[in-house]
Amino acid sequence: MRSTLIAAAVLTGVVLVGSAMVRVAPPVPAGTISGTVTYTGTPPKMRPIDMAKEPTCVSQHPTPVMTETVVSGPNNTLGWVVVYISAGADGSTPATAPVRYDQHGCLYIPHVVVLQPGQPLQVTNSDKAAHNIHPLARVNAEWNKSQPPETAPIQASFDKPEFIPVKCNIHPWMHGYFVVLNTSHHAVTGPDGAFSLAGLPPGTYTVTAWHERFGTLTQDVTISGTETKSISFVFKALPY
Amino acid sequence: MRLHTRWIAPVSAWGAVLLFVGATPSPMPAQQAHADNVTGHAAAGRPLYERYCVGCHGKDGDGAGDNAQWIDPRPRDFTLAVFKCRSTATGSLPTDQDLYNAVSRGFVSTYMPPWFALTPQNRIDVIAYIKTFSAKWNGGQTATPITIPDEPAVSADGILHGRQLFQDLQCWKCHGPAGHGDGPAAATLTDSKDNPIRPYDFVVGSRFKCGSTNRDLYQIFMTGLDGTPMPSFADLMQPGDAWDLVHFLRTLQPLASPEATTWRAWLTAHPGELKPIGPEGTQ
Amino acid sequence: MGNGLLKGAGRVGWSMLALVMMLSTMAPPLGATASANKAAVANLSSGLRAAYTTYVRTTSRALASRSLAIPAFARKYNLACSACHTVWPELNNFGQRFRDNGYQMGNDRDAPNWRDPSYWPIAVRTTPQFRVETTDHQPIDPAPSEAEITQAGFDISGIDFLMLGTLYKDITFGLVPTLDADGTAGVEAAFVRFDNLGNSPWANVKVGKFELDNLLSEKRFTWLSSNGGFLYAYHYQPAGSVDNYAFGLGDNQIGAEVSGHSLNSYTRYSVSVLATDDGEAGLPTGKSVDAMVSLSQAFAAGGGLGPQRIGVFGYLGHRPTTFQTINGEPIPGTYGDHKPFYRVGATAQLWLGKLELLPLVSHAQDDVALGGGTEKPEWNTALLEAHYVATPRLMVQGRYELLRMSQQADPATEKTFGNADAFAVGVRAYPFMFARTGMAIHGELAMTKTIGMAPLSGTGSGEPAYDPLTAIWSRSLLLAFDFAF
Repeated sequence: MRSTLIAAAVLTGVVLVGSAMVRVAPPVPAGTISGTVTYTGTPPKMRPIDMAKEPTCVSQHPTPVMTETVVSGPNNTLGWVVVYISAGADGSTPATAPVRYDQHGCLYIPHVVVLQPGQPLQVTNSDKAAHNIHPLARVNAEWNKSQPPETAPIQASFDKPEFIPVKCNIHPWMHGYFVVLNTSHHAVTGPDGAFSLAGLPPGTYTVTAWHERFGTLTQDVTISGTETKSISFVFKALPY
Repeated sequence: MRLHTRWIAPVSAWGAVLLFVGATPSPMPAQQAHADNVTGHAAAGRPLYERYCVGCHGKDGDGAGDNAQWIDPRPRDFTLAVFKCRSTATGSLPTDQDLYNAVSRGFVSTYMPPWFALTPQNRIDVIAYIKTFSAKWNGGQTATPITIPDEPAVSADGILHGRQLFQDLQCWKCHGPAGHGDGPAAATLTDSKDNPIRPYDFVVGSRFKCGSTNRDLYQIFMTGLDGTPMPSFADLMQPGDAWDLVHFLRTLQPLASPEATTWRAWLTAHPGELKPIGPEGTQ
Repeated sequence: MGNGLLKGAGRVGWSMLALVMMLSTMAPPLGATASANKAAVANLSSGLRAAYTTYVRTTSRALASRSLAIPAFARKYNLACSACHTVWPELNNFGQRFRDNGYQMGNDRDAPNWRDPSYWPIAVRTTPQFRVETTDHQPIDPAPSEAEITQAGFDISGIDFLMLGTLYKDITFGLVPTLDADGTAGVEAAFVRFDNLGNSPWANVKVGKFELDNLLSEKRFTWLSSNGGFLYAYHYQPAGSVDNYAFGLGDNQIGAEVSGHSLNSYTRYSVSVLATDDGEAGLPTGKSVDAMVSLSQAFAAGGGLGPQRIGVFGYLGHRPTTFQTINGEPIPGTYGDHKPFYRVGATAQLWLGKLELLPLVSHAQDDVALGGGTEKPEWNTALLEAHYVATPRLMVQGRYELLRMSQQADPATEKTFGNADAFAVGVRAYPFMFARTGMAIHGELAMTKTIGMAPLSGTGSGEPAYDPLTAIWSRSLLLAFDFAF
């Protein structure tokens, strides 16, 4: 009986000392910044794209596609807005998953993609027509490659943060953007204007919203724990 | 204090001499350039740039000189470090030799004259100075020219293959089925600064912007003309393919070339066999 | 930047005036005793004296140097003047190649149909000025009185209308009508040139009235004064030369030229066959021909503003010595019995950084019949011109030329009669430099010392000194605005 008690005491001691030695990281609180992007005023009218010069694409659109400079939803929500953390230690990690960019029906799908520096980009051509990919970079290198139908995806990456317009010279209505950002906290709004930046450690952040026509807006937000802070961006729209 | 009159002239003369020696220029990076066995230095190139280049290319090298507003196509903006005529892959800086060749050759059908009448030393000094307009050259990285294999002999099969490539790679979209620069996309082409630009018209038969030999032509579509709609086809063609395309393109020009002779002979022997180039030629 | 340069030019102006004051008090006349010289003068027949006096009077007009700087080219190609000119009107090698190529840049855009129809190939140049001319030992009435003659004041130069360009690819034209300051009209150049025959830069043919292919061009040099605006090597003729022996290597001549050049104009040649009229139209002296050959070779050495170039030239001319008359007046076209003369020389264009050196040596000989004596007159000239091209908008220059008679036509004449020394210094400052128009602020001081002969500048009384061994000093100070548009 006495030896069992001693063994139990030693075991307990070992367990207590052992558990004190094992360091378990306390869970880090992560907050979220979310919200909606809208506009006031009158935006420019979007126009139907005439793809007559490319018959193989005309056949893919029973009704003509509209230009995508301003894409909006009910209640004046704004799509294709890139919302991201532009200042603050947000614990970003480099991204390695490839981002896909497709040319389909003589349009860039999606219209705007966000990348981090060095993140692989894969450009594919799903059309029967040849396209050329021409990122009009100024800070990064400007290159221009041809991509006929049924050829391998083009692999690329960019080293420095930049908002890069992309065009196809053969089909002048095709416009897109490669947005290269240093942060892994970014979102691109859909027509409903909604965005959500999750996994943010406590701190003060500057949130920037960028739209290709209406410019840039910024806001400062402080996260203290695991809360969700709700903000909104309202762009001033002009018809020209 | 008496002013000795006999000193007026020498003193004024010395004053004049010191004035002529000139104000010290602002410090600039010690940029160098090497081509054709000559080495150039930016400090020596600066006064040459101000003599020959500034009117079009601008004091800051941004293509916005006094005369630029009257010039079409616009003068090159050196601050972007994007150049058409390179031996390096698309998106890369040109080599010093590329820039030297471009300056010496000039650009046909533009206002950029051929400057080969300047001494090689003058030209390479100007190149060294031009490199100071963009920080992209400060890294010291030197771009590697693409490898160009030896040109094979001209053959009718090669030209036919080149013709098929012209169809499949859809060169005719811009250059037109006969290479006349009148393809469906030609009228709306714009360069990277949104200025209208025309594709090369093979039927006129002038020099290319980036040279006049078969090797130059090979380089044009295997490196692309950065800053213009002309892309690089390097990822899409093997060297053998590329030479076949070169030989076919020569048949589009009204020049007396071995390619034209071979092609004419083949056409005479095989009348009516060719499928047309263009949308009708697509499967 | 413009303001700074103008201030610089002002400082230069004061230095120039200081130099002027210094030099003008410095040069005493030289010469042997008056009596021996009077005897030599008497030996020249009155007829011959009249002949060369007439020559002096007519050449003084011809010597008014016309220079060619063409803002029309700058407008056509959107290049600043400094692209083609070291300082206009002097050409650099890029401009020389443009000119050799028939005023074509070579980018398939030279022909007139590539230009907006509003482009006209015309440029105009003139030079309003202030000048002072001083000539000493000038004979006045009654003989043998002498005086120092001074003229000073504001003046105008003539006007050049420069129309040069292409009619078609590889067909070039040139038309330069001029108005002298007194309103006399003239045609300085009128030619057509067929360029790049057989697609080769080695074969070009020019026909009409044009400048000879002088490597040191008098039409495109940077001197404008009466004493500085010409070269003795190109215009001197000894005392006693017969009347219708009009000639100047710097005068535009009428004829045909076959010329060629390497692609970059480093190697150049020119062979011309010319009428014997020294550029006067109407075939007055008729039948014989003159010939001119020039060759030059350039080397890309040194880091100066151009290649180093050397050249040689030779001119073989013929002038008539007899003619028929009607009512005592000579009949054009009946001139005959042509006698030869020649000029040969070598010249160079050398660059040491921003300093350009232009040496020239020449040897000349006239036939006995042309010399008006019993021997063939011979003489030698040597000159060194230096330009310091500080910037494309500022140039300082100097020249020293000497001429020495090695054989007088009349053996009784003193050996030094006709010898000349010419000095000139100058500055040109250009307040702006772009592709439309040009202006230079020009300062020049030129002095010539001639032994016995009236100075070639044409200033003074126009007669030789009474004492043929008198050293006659003629000085010009010129301050001018030289503009072209």
